[in-house]
Amino acid sequence: MVSTDLTLLERKARVRYELGRLRRALLGVAPLLPVLLIALYFTQRPASTLCFGLCSAVLSIFLLWYGRDPQRAVLPGLAAGLIPLALSLCANQFHQCGPDGCSSFCAPACTLGGALAGLAVASVGTRRGLGPWFWLCASGLTLLTGAMGCSCVGYSGVLGLGVGYGLGLAPAWLRRTKATRAKSR
Amino acid sequence: MSAPPTSGNAAELDPWMARLADGDRSVFPQLFAQLWPPIRRLCLSLLQNEADAADAAQEALQKILERAPADYERSRPALPWALAIAGWECRTLLRKRQRRREVPEQERPAPSADPEQSSVQQDLSRAALEALGSLSEADRETLIATFWAEAAAAPDAARAAATVRKRRQRALARLRDTFRRLYGLD
Repeated sequence: MVSTDLTLLERKARVRYELGRLRRALLGVAPLLPVLLIALYFTQRPASTLCFGLCSAVLSIFLLWYGRDPQRAVLPGLAAGLIPLALSLCANQFHQCGPDGCSSFCAPACTLGGALAGLAVASVGTRRGLGPWFWLCASGLTLLTGAMGCSCVGYSGVLGLGVGYGLGLAPAWLRRTKATRAKSR
Repeated sequence: MSAPPTSGNAAELDPWMARLADGDRSVFPQLFAQLWPPIRRLCLSLLQNEADAADAAQEALQKILERAPADYERSRPALPWALAIAGWECRTLLRKRQRRREVPEQERPAPSADPEQSSVQQDLSRAALEALGSLSEADRETLIATFWAEAAAAPDAARAAATVRKRRQRALARLRDTFRRLYGLD
């Protein structure tokens, strides 16, 4: 076989490799579909839940297709995101009414869920000693998945999720940065 | 006919395959160049026909690289795994050719001067491929690693010699059984 044929074969093989990865990525994201359907069933703002859910799915597909550290972030990211999602969907079912009107538990639930999710992602990242791409991708996925439920009280819920997540993640992130700096010295 | 320039050796194949499975595309050209010659040789030795071997080797190589992210296990050596897929591809191609009868038996170039001997050899190759194809992937890997010189020389195979011997014994026993069942030999 001449070298031009081999170049063509290599190109074909590369396309098959990428398509194989894409197929696997689509399979890997499939469990997100029932989560999205459940969230849509319980949420009061289906449009924003759908939007965040689709963003989460697209990002997961991209990361799974890309591979390496970002790929490793998908499962911990999605799993951690389920904590604020579940808490916010539960909190959505209860509210407290007083003389000034009713208030929902959604925002506090999102902040608490975000903090727990941050701790979970930090624990996985520290234990496995993964690089900054893991932390970044896992954080993005956790926030998008959590936001599917935390948009229950508008963007204040999402903000609460972000603040809680930052608080949960910060100690481990700071420790990691310090250790990296000490190593480089 | 010219093979691509190969860099590195079979020992480098395992980490390269692991990196590709992990999504590191930078090793793709090296891995491709390293895998092509042994796969081509295996297909040629199994099919005894230049054109069929080229077809099978091309399809096998594409499948190997496509399946690497999902199916390649880092604990196992990459070459026997790849050769097992190539062996399976040869069997599939042979069956396809038999079904379609694209190439009549008489048109095939005879590898030896004696037509009777060549016919017997082709029948034996076909029978071996049939029996090999009915085994599990692990068994196929073991047998190909055992009888394929380059794969047998892999350092991992040498390290786990006892395990390979045991697996080989079991795989051979299963191959014998399959052979018997397939061809009614008792």
